[in-house]
Amino acid sequence: MTTAKDDAMTQAPAGEEFRVAGPDLAPPGDSAGSGADGSRASGSRDGRPRESRPRAARLGLVGWLRWFWRQLTSMRTALILLFLLALASVPGSVLPQEGIDPAAVTQYYQQHPSLAPIFNDLSLFNVFSAPWFAAIYLLLFASLAGCVLPRTFRLVGSARQKPPRAPSNLSRLPASASYTTSLTPEAALDSAAGLFGGRRFRLHRGDGWVSAEKGYLREVGNLLFHIALLALLFSVGLGGIWGYKADRLLIVGQGFANTPTALDVFHPGRLVSPSDLQPFSVNLLSFRAEYVTSGPQVDQPITYDAALSYRAQIGGPVKHYVLQVNHPLVVDSVSVYLIGHGYAPVFKVTDGTGKVRWDGPVPFIPVQQTTLTSEGVVKVPDAQPYQLGFAGVFLPSAVDEHGQLQSAFPGPLNPRVSLVAFKGNLGMNSGQPQSVYSLDTKGLKQLPVAPRPLAAGQTEKLPDGAGSITYLGYQQWVSLAITYDPGQLPALISGFAALAGLILSFLIRRRRVFVRAVAGPDGSTQVSLGGLARSDAAGGFDTEFAELSRLLRTEHDGESMRASQIGDGTVDGPADFDDLERPQPTDPAAADVAATPANADTATAESAAAANPETLTGLEGE
Amino acid sequence: MSRLPVPARIAMGPAVAALVGLAMAGCDSGAIGADVPQSSGQSFVGHSYESTFYKVGQRPTAPAVSGTTLTGQRLNLDAYKGKTVVLNFWGSWCDPCRSEAPALGQLARQLQPDGVRFVGVDIRDEPDAALAFMQNFNVSYPSLNDPNDQIALEFQSTVPPAAIPTTLIIDRSGRIAARIVGASSYSELKDLVAEVAGLKA
Repeated sequence: MTTAKDDAMTQAPAGEEFRVAGPDLAPPGDSAGSGADGSRASGSRDGRPRESRPRAARLGLVGWLRWFWRQLTSMRTALILLFLLALASVPGSVLPQEGIDPAAVTQYYQQHPSLAPIFNDLSLFNVFSAPWFAAIYLLLFASLAGCVLPRTFRLVGSARQKPPRAPSNLSRLPASASYTTSLTPEAALDSAAGLFGGRRFRLHRGDGWVSAEKGYLREVGNLLFHIALLALLFSVGLGGIWGYKADRLLIVGQGFANTPTALDVFHPGRLVSPSDLQPFSVNLLSFRAEYVTSGPQVDQPITYDAALSYRAQIGGPVKHYVLQVNHPLVVDSVSVYLIGHGYAPVFKVTDGTGKVRWDGPVPFIPVQQTTLTSEGVVKVPDAQPYQLGFAGVFLPSAVDEHGQLQSAFPGPLNPRVSLVAFKGNLGMNSGQPQSVYSLDTKGLKQLPVAPRPLAAGQTEKLPDGAGSITYLGYQQWVSLAITYDPGQLPALISGFAALAGLILSFLIRRRRVFVRAVAGPDGSTQVSLGGLARSDAAGGFDTEFAELSRLLRTEHDGESMRASQIGDGTVDGPADFDDLERPQPTDPAAADVAATPANADTATAESAAAANPETLTGLEGE
Repeated sequence: MSRLPVPARIAMGPAVAALVGLAMAGCDSGAIGADVPQSSGQSFVGHSYESTFYKVGQRPTAPAVSGTTLTGQRLNLDAYKGKTVVLNFWGSWCDPCRSEAPALGQLARQLQPDGVRFVGVDIRDEPDAALAFMQNFNVSYPSLNDPNDQIALEFQSTVPPAAIPTTLIIDRSGRIAARIVGASSYSELKDLVAEVAGLKA
């Protein structure tokens, strides 16, 4: 159903010539030609074979631009772009994304060393900031805008116009009826106008006829849908300009403020500067995770609760919140999500001089999700006489399986840490940033320490007088995703508006009802009614027309009712009701399509004329 | 990192950046923080990649921060009014901070007679490690302990430390005159301080 409409869109508005020429100039056989092939029917190229314009043969630059613009703003293109947008988002949910999970991207690099760089070049790890994604997005935006604006003007214009004059022979309309009444024609038309007016039809009254039209809300709904779609795209854009995303790992007992130095990963929008960040602070008071202890779901998490205290501003009142998955803390329009958790074993490192050089928790990163076996490093760059480094594995529930130590459960039932110790140069003083989660062993020498799992309170003494390390216990940490998206609420509202517009445009149909009353030879008045509805997808125009004609007849006390409802009262397809839909078919070939509705026997130039106010002038010849 | 199920967060925002005509050139902007190494788990920069000088009259007033130093003393920045203050945000875990530390320690001693005072703000650190750092690099000036980023936050509305390390130079009237983001070199910092303090080079 859309192809013909699309073609109609791509055609040059040539209404002026058409009005003079009239639809009968269009040879019926040509209607097929303007059908499916969009390029054929497009613009001034060969869509108008009967107009011998000199520029029809070749397109100049302007012609090509016009052609491009019409292609871009066609509904078909919009749909293709919408589909492409959906398709382009797929890698974003299949592949790890840098903005959401940089660790997973790093992992992907390790697992697919040859594929990952190619994917990276294609921006597949950053789909939503990829140039090609932006291209689709912008084209869709332009397409929608290019479609909506002209239509809005046209809606305003046609809302100001009166309904068209009644065609002379109403019985040729898709729905019609006639009867005689003893009222005078004037009185009959008066009461018809009263009836239609009471039902909020828009009226146009002429000599011996009344035209009534209803259903502009359909186009309003249609436009609302398109505009809401635009607004939705725009709202999403707002987030990219003024929004930001950040991650932060937070150990129980510690706190942070929403400021760039405190954030592990910070992705600001284009126009976000650090001073724009909402100045809230968060402290993690406790964290509790519960797991299934038996059955097929064993090791699966049941709940996570992170108890927070927070302040919206410096010196503001301290509030409390229990953070859970999918229950973000919202402070100052910023959402703080709980997205991960893990263990941070607590170590105390004493160097060779006997001084404590580290006394605190060190976050370890889970390498195995089901059992939360975690790995991490402890770096003590200021130990004397040697810098010290430790690579460790943390097992929340250590069990000995065939001589190998493993974690059997994610909960901390039997926490153990196993460490490998190094001394030498950690490579931290060169200024080259390195990850706090990995050890650069280039300048390090592994110390001959027999690996053994340490329980809380146990100390490993290092050889060569390098010092010692004590495992004191563990803390838990959570990783938080901080997102600020000013487009979120507008996007929600736009979504609802789009839905409302869609419903409106589906439920309401444009329809016209005409009444003619002429005085008969016997002194009675002959009243004839005709009506048609456009794309009566929801049905019901027949019923409405029957109801209207019945009411009118009753009011007129009419006799010898003839209801000839040929067809379903609907003009289908490209026969645009008027010029409200996407650009109307105004060249003769397209108008010919308009004159060929489903019911060939009733489809005359006249019914098409009734459907199109512009053609009416030519037909009536008044 | 253990991931919990998260609601799908629509993240197409940057695409719209193209609206302001920037995106086609690729999406790594020079925006602060954008080139922080992502997998490091900490936000620091490897070298000085931005230094800003504010002319007299355009200098934002530094917030009156105070707190406890790593050695347990109270310190109020207000007490330094009338002196040029070099405020350095650092952490013992931060590699660029370690590389700039010798230059800072040296300049602090060298410029002491000229009425220039150095103050550190230790961020996201473990106090024993921080004290070891100061001892190791022979840092004689005091450092405020800022485990919860409250001091950094106070600067947020003026000239925020955009990354670690960040060095702010505060003039004699308590206004922020310059900022260096990233590790500052001896000569870069010395020149800036000399300009702010009105010392001859």
